[in-house]
Amino acid sequence: MTDTLANPTATTPSCVFDAKDFASGAHPVWCPGCGDFGVLAALERALAKYGRPPHEVVLVSGIGCSSRLPGYMSTYGFHGVHGRALAAATGLKLARPDLEVIAVGGDGDGYSIGGNHFIHACRRNPDLLYVVMDNRVYGMTKGQPSPTTEPDWDSDIAPGGIGLRPFNPLAVAIAAGANYVARGFSGDPNGLADLIVDGLKWPGFAFIEVLSPCITFRPEQRDWKKMVRPSNISIEQDRAAATALVLADDGFSLGVLYRGDRASIAAALKPEITMGDVEREFAP
Amino acid sequence: MPRQSIAVVFAGSGGSGAMSAGAVFLRAAARAGYFGMMTQLFGAQVRGGESASLVQIGVMPVEAQPDRFDAFVALDWDKVEQFAAEIPLDEASLIIADPASGAVPPGIAKSKGRVVALPMTDASESKADRALLGRRVNMFAAGCMAALCGLPVGEIEGAVDAIFGGKGADVAAANKARALSGAQAAAALGLDLKLAPPTPDQRWLISGNQAVALGALRGGVRFVGCYPITPATDLVEWLAPHLLKLGGRLVLGEDELASINLVIGASYGGVPAMTVTSGPGFSLMVESLGLAIAAEIPLVLVDVMRAGPSTGIASKTEQSDLNLAIYGAHGDAPHVVLAPLSVGDCAATAEYAVYVAEALQVPVIVLSDQALGQATTVIDPVRDRPPPQPRKIDGVDAGKPFKRYATTGDAITPMPLPGTPNREWVAEGLTHNEAGLPASGAAMHAAQIHKRARKIREFDAGERWGEVTGEGDTAILAFGSTVGPAREAARRLTEAGHSVRVIALRLISPLPVRQLAQALSGARRVVVIEQNDSGQLYRHLLGHKAVPVEAESVARPGPQPFRPSEIVNYVA
Ligand SMILES: Cc1ncc(C[n+]2csc(CCOP(=O)(O)OP(=O)(O)O)c2C)c(N)n1
Ligand code: SF4
Ligand SMILES: [Mg+2]
Repeated sequence: MTDTLANPTATTPSCVFDAKDFASGAHPVWCPGCGDFGVLAALERALAKYGRPPHEVVLVSGIGCSSRLPGYMSTYGFHGVHGRALAAATGLKLARPDLEVIAVGGDGDGYSIGGNHFIHACRRNPDLLYVVMDNRVYGMTKGQPSPTTEPDWDSDIAPGGIGLRPFNPLAVAIAAGANYVARGFSGDPNGLADLIVDGLKWPGFAFIEVLSPCITFRPEQRDWKKMVRPSNISIEQDRAAATALVLADDGFSLGVLYRGDRASIAAALKPEITMGDVEREFAP
Repeated sequence: MPRQSIAVVFAGSGGSGAMSAGAVFLRAAARAGYFGMMTQLFGAQVRGGESASLVQIGVMPVEAQPDRFDAFVALDWDKVEQFAAEIPLDEASLIIADPASGAVPPGIAKSKGRVVALPMTDASESKADRALLGRRVNMFAAGCMAALCGLPVGEIEGAVDAIFGGKGADVAAANKARALSGAQAAAALGLDLKLAPPTPDQRWLISGNQAVALGALRGGVRFVGCYPITPATDLVEWLAPHLLKLGGRLVLGEDELASINLVIGASYGGVPAMTVTSGPGFSLMVESLGLAIAAEIPLVLVDVMRAGPSTGIASKTEQSDLNLAIYGAHGDAPHVVLAPLSVGDCAATAEYAVYVAEALQVPVIVLSDQALGQATTVIDPVRDRPPPQPRKIDGVDAGKPFKRYATTGDAITPMPLPGTPNREWVAEGLTHNEAGLPASGAAMHAAQIHKRARKIREFDAGERWGEVTGEGDTAILAFGSTVGPAREAARRLTEAGHSVRVIALRLISPLPVRQLAQALSGARRVVVIEQNDSGQLYRHLLGHKAVPVEAESVARPGPQPFRPSEIVNYVA
């Protein structure tokens, strides 16, 4: 059995919307200057461009500052428990393939408590988009190191640094089977919106890692705007080469880093039996 | 006088086919019109170890394990002795074995049962034949016992065909040939085990796990998320192909944390959804049980209980997850807990669970147990169908934002499906306001807590809260797999002149206090029977003042099933 698509092509819906059609009007709890504002703006712009109406879109999240995002959009939303957003999003997408399902959250939510679900979402490759706002810290719990935190970042809970090599979510995603992997920056909402539209259109599991500074607990991340640059990693690469290139990158290359041709998890079948058929099987 | 019922054990080492012997015997009886029940015992090996099938067949429905077995058929004696403690035998029991298998081991012989020699291998069979056909002593034994009980040869053949037909005509033919040889050998034994004539009718051969799956499908469950765990795995293995062919989906989660969230996601999308597990998996699911309660998402969680705590005994029964089911989630987290009353009732209770979950937008836990789940029974077809209670999905257009969690008026508020224009809402696990946005004020917290509590408080299960049999002075209260033995005990006690009623609880939480008071009216003595050490049901009942303080608790751990005699001895 092959799980390769003959012709991976992008689908394009077509209504006309404005970014503000996707804003709920609720006031975000985020600190002024938080990178997540840029991600919210990018999502609104991207959905307007993508063209599906708000009621056909569901944003699913876990817990964290970043996971508050669904409440700020006019779409349907699901704000679940810490780390389980991808499982809920997968269940929703498989039960309701007609909906546009987008999971969002933070690096703690997605890579530590939800790490197992992240790997298996990549492996299942459901046709949904996952946007992680990576600030390399647990923002909501006020500044503890996350799986992507630099080894020497000093904090109350890990004085002198956690001393561990950071997790590389993009390499893991490619290795585990994600079909679309990109990196964006919250300071470039338009560029990020383009990546989001691209990811929505690409079949299978699309993962966008967004560098989204926590200006409160990681004020030094304000410098990210000076460090990011367009990626020169070719996306015409197989999985192994792409994984190696992403591992070798310094983490500030923006753009699409990998695009695969894996088919998504199979659709449900049309009913072919009735309950009567089921019950007849109990005859001795 | 012909007997009303017979209890037979087939036991043997790995590969001897004790399970198939029991299956053929039970199915032949079912085809002939008898009722029956089969349970199984396994050794410690992961696969292919020694095993025993315990089968009771008879003229009347069978709902409890027998006090003793009439016949113990040894397919061989290899490691079979370890089952001795779980298979009560006495002087009146027959120990049927091939003398070529060696002497009866002391653990079995100490019952003083009468040993009957039954050569099971065919001496005339050539080596080549044996290689082709195998010894198939299990089929020989099953055929012999079936004939001894008076089951028609045609039904024995039919049973073999039904079980082995899928494995190819030659396999079925070889098994049939051996079963027929066994049937022919019966007459020479000079035993009279004939059953009274049955009352043939349309019957089902079904296990409790299959019945739960059937009930869920009947109730409209079309999405299942689960992670394998004994003794719940065979439920989903049976369910999977049927669910798929009905157009539904089964997703194997990476763990139980994922499984319940897959289900919550699907249910949020409007598809009735269920997860199936046992104690260790249930412990993991508790996390998101609270989410489903807070965000008001319907789901059915089936716990096929096994002995705990921790990994406990994977393949054996206990009723010790009651506390977890009722009190598991943190915070004030009202929800519904149901337990089936019998193998057949697993279907009705599971179907009802789907309707209650959908109607109240709440998780409903179905507490089954290994003894119900893995018992295969012959029963009348389950025609009990609870009336459907669909989810309330259409909300009035109350302007924006849509008040999904309105706290005034009906506690059950509309839950529009994603995809519905102008009803966008956020399912929220944080304390939230009426529009579903996080809120941390005291007044809104209390208002939402009360809204959810009110849904459960105002829920009336009507007649479905449970069942009362008999009107006696002594009331025996039971749930799950203890109901069957309690009823059988009550029947015997009543015959012996005692005055007994059995109150079987289907609705465990919220406790149907009003109906229970009525069921208990006039009772002079109340005995609460359950299979856990701490008296979890008893304390639950006392806590709600649903039984008098003088009520007696009969609580002991599994995995041994309650036998009717144990209950008779206590009550009498
Ligand atoms: C089961 C559980 N454990 C711990 C927490 C506490 N907690 C809330 S958010 C969070 C980390 C969030 O980090 P991240 O996902 O990176 O989000 P950010 O706030 O940085 O956007 C933690 C540990 C929780 N809510 N639930
Ligand atoms: S703590 Fe950090 S991540 Fe959270 S809102 Fe403030 S700036 Fe953003
Ligand atoms: Mg973070």
